[in-house]
Amino acid sequence: MVIKMNLKKYLTLTRAGIIESIQFRASLFVLVLGNLLYLTVVYFLWKAIYASAGTDVVNGMTFSDTLIYLVLATALFNFMEMYTVWDMGRNIQSGKIVLDLLKPMRYRSYLFWSFSGSFVVNFFAVFLPTFLVVYIVTGGAIPIGISLFYFVIAVVMAVIINYSIDFIVGTICLYTESIWGINIMKQVIVLLLSGATIPLAFFPEPFKTVAGYLPFQSIYNTPLMILLGGGTGTEEVFEALGIQLFWCMALLACSSLFWKLSLRRITVNGG
Amino acid sequence: MKKIIEINHVSKEFKVLNRREGLKGSLKDLFSRDYKIVRAVDDISLSIGQGEIVGYLGPNGAGKSTTIKMMTGVLEPTEGEILVNGNVPYKNRTRNAQEIGVVFGQRSQLWWALPLVESFRILKDIYQINDGDYEEMLSLYRSLVDFEELLHKPVRQMSLGQRTLSDILAAFLHNPKIVFLDEPTIGLDVSMKGRIRTLIQALNREKKTTVILTTHDMGDVDALCQRIIIIDKGKMLYDNDIKHLKGFFGAYRTLQLRFDGDIAEQAKQLKEELAPYHAAVTAEEEWVSVLVNEEKVRVMEVLEAIQRNRVIRDMKLNEISTEEVIKKIYEEEL
Amino acid sequence: MEDSVRRTSNCSQQWLLRREVLSLTRKFVPVAQIRRLRKGMVISMKKRNLGFYLRIYRKILIQDLKSKMSYRADFIISTVGMIFTNIAGFVSFWILFQNFPSINGWGYYEMLYLYGFSLVSLTPVQCLFDNNWSLRQYVYSGDFIKYCFRPINLFFYFQSEVFDIKGLGQLMFGVGTLVYAWGKIGLACTPMMIIKTVVFLITASLVMIAVQNAAAATCFWINNSFYVLDLSMRCKDFARYPITIFSPLFKFIFTFIIPVAFIAYYPSLVILRPGEAPLLSWLSPLFGCLFFWLSYKLWMFGAMKYSGTGS
Repeated sequence: MVIKMNLKKYLTLTRAGIIESIQFRASLFVLVLGNLLYLTVVYFLWKAIYASAGTDVVNGMTFSDTLIYLVLATALFNFMEMYTVWDMGRNIQSGKIVLDLLKPMRYRSYLFWSFSGSFVVNFFAVFLPTFLVVYIVTGGAIPIGISLFYFVIAVVMAVIINYSIDFIVGTICLYTESIWGINIMKQVIVLLLSGATIPLAFFPEPFKTVAGYLPFQSIYNTPLMILLGGGTGTEEVFEALGIQLFWCMALLACSSLFWKLSLRRITVNGG
Repeated sequence: MKKIIEINHVSKEFKVLNRREGLKGSLKDLFSRDYKIVRAVDDISLSIGQGEIVGYLGPNGAGKSTTIKMMTGVLEPTEGEILVNGNVPYKNRTRNAQEIGVVFGQRSQLWWALPLVESFRILKDIYQINDGDYEEMLSLYRSLVDFEELLHKPVRQMSLGQRTLSDILAAFLHNPKIVFLDEPTIGLDVSMKGRIRTLIQALNREKKTTVILTTHDMGDVDALCQRIIIIDKGKMLYDNDIKHLKGFFGAYRTLQLRFDGDIAEQAKQLKEELAPYHAAVTAEEEWVSVLVNEEKVRVMEVLEAIQRNRVIRDMKLNEISTEEVIKKIYEEEL
Repeated sequence: MEDSVRRTSNCSQQWLLRREVLSLTRKFVPVAQIRRLRKGMVISMKKRNLGFYLRIYRKILIQDLKSKMSYRADFIISTVGMIFTNIAGFVSFWILFQNFPSINGWGYYEMLYLYGFSLVSLTPVQCLFDNNWSLRQYVYSGDFIKYCFRPINLFFYFQSEVFDIKGLGQLMFGVGTLVYAWGKIGLACTPMMIIKTVVFLITASLVMIAVQNAAAATCFWINNSFYVLDLSMRCKDFARYPITIFSPLFKFIFTFIIPVAFIAYYPSLVILRPGEAPLLSWLSPLFGCLFFWLSYKLWMFGAMKYSGTGS
């Protein structure tokens, strides 16, 4: 009963988010069109890059592997980018955060579920079309099977990790006014070290090792590598998922703790 | 008196999207849309002379802002003709802008991060105010408000009252012929409201600036305006002297009475009994109000009639206030 | 009229009031008279030339910088963020070339030159036109109207409000890259070459500004035009690659519709491979001006059409 009530509370926010994002017809159109344009550009760019390389496989990745990887990374980015840091920063500066804190749910849940509506819209408008287009263009190079299932699990954990990192960075905004600077630093680090801009497989050795020890690679690299790896190497898949789970727990704990400690600032100083 | 604003049979229409409700409705909106035409301003004509302070009143959504936007050249009227200062505002917005000042109660037009004095210096350049006029204006300001206190403070650190004050000073800086004030006292405390009213009055007197004031605060109207214009649903309801309005309604007085027993029941009975006296009876929480038109019947007569059948426990006699007059006009649907 | 109303004895008080109010609404001035009035009025206004605008811009800029410097922490963090962005951009570029020694016949240093070129040409749009990013919020909230009441050019007034000093970090980084690549390629360092570089850098900047202006201006028609701006910014990343890698259709699109090819490729061809440069390359300064002018017109057209939401 309690669980049902709770879920309803959150799903209302999702519903409101969906309504809000599809109100603007033209921008939805631009989103879909822009994404297709982007797909095409990436296709040509990497085709040219591979053509100049002279070999079909570079660092263990074929052209279609790279294409799938990069395109899906962008699609994942579109749907994982929740502008949490911006929202938190702005709300903290304008003092609106006090109102949000009065809502009968935890702030981090409130923020997350408020955004979940555009999650749903982005999934249908961006991720699904992209997935299908890539699937067709690469002639079915995405292995459909058990790996798809692992991929979904990995994406869920990636969303949690990404959100926790965002939330930690957003909390920093309680201490500084420089939202832009904080946000851009976070974005740059996450995008580079998670393998969103270039697959980690292409990284030269020392870089690759360093990135492997950081939580960021769990956001893009892990889900996408699981997807591309097909059914092979179940052990590796489980190992990757295990690392993800570890980061998931660790970052969730960190972000909650940091938020709780920082919140005293608001309650003491009055925002 | 020289006419400075002429508005002639002006109308403005907007195309508005009819949004459907709920998730399903939004999905439908995604594929088919339904527009309707809204006439925000409907055949309005008026003229305003130089140096007047005119209260431009109306309930929310009446079309006040639309009219102001047309006068400032931001909007082009769908029909009709507007002349401000001899210019058609929307055809030459920049030229019109040189001669007007605008203040929005909630939106500061000053540079957020800059101290007021720096904003003024930039405005001096933008409006090409010469040094003499600029200094003269500043010394006028010094005589009217605690100017030095404001001058070196960045706008973002000001209180709402100080910000409004600064915005008004900035709007008058280039000595425009007309200043539009949109709810200048919104959200301010009583004392700040008073200071702002005094300031507007003084500037109007010193510089013969025409002031168009929209407000929901009848205190502003009572303190500042000789003339008021009321619009509702885009149509003009009233345009005349404020004294005339009050004089006309002055014939009415409200008698407030308290009785023992059920108020609603008493009011009902009174309504029947007082029918021959042209008096309107309404019941509010504890009081029964009787509106008496003194041109037709004296208050004492009504009072006698009431007392004939019951005992009055308590009584008040009120003149009608501007606030009530305006409220009456808003509430009567045309 | 009023008498007749009063005589009606049983009319309700409210109805009476209403009639009374209506009859008070006043008479109008004939149109002919207004025309006469209009002719008689002459408003004197000094000419507003380029000097006027430059003076105002300088004043706003100096004040803006002063107030920015007063937020030291923010300034430092933003600068560090900017440096991070540039380093990360360069690292991705470098990693790419660790794996692929050339792209479509363009070697590492040539691509580095393109990269530096695009960084430098992005500086003006970053520094001077950053307010475009906020345009959509101003329009959405109705606050845009506050820009409409000043007797100066609306576009200028709006853009003058923000100067983004962070762009200067990018400029330094870009110039460094450009000079380094220049040396490694072994380009001559004649005055002519420098003039060419500067002219074509300005061209590229104009195109970049044009793309952003046009993208920002869409918010006058589309609610929530963030995606348009975002898309245009993503396109700029492709400016770093030679346009020859695209199919004819996309070559056309990137040349004339979303002219990102003019941001680095066409202009730098003139310097890097003058022999191969097509006529379009040589004409790119003209195109730069044209695109800028078109985007300015679009922006102003949107702003004039703008009717403001709410009160």
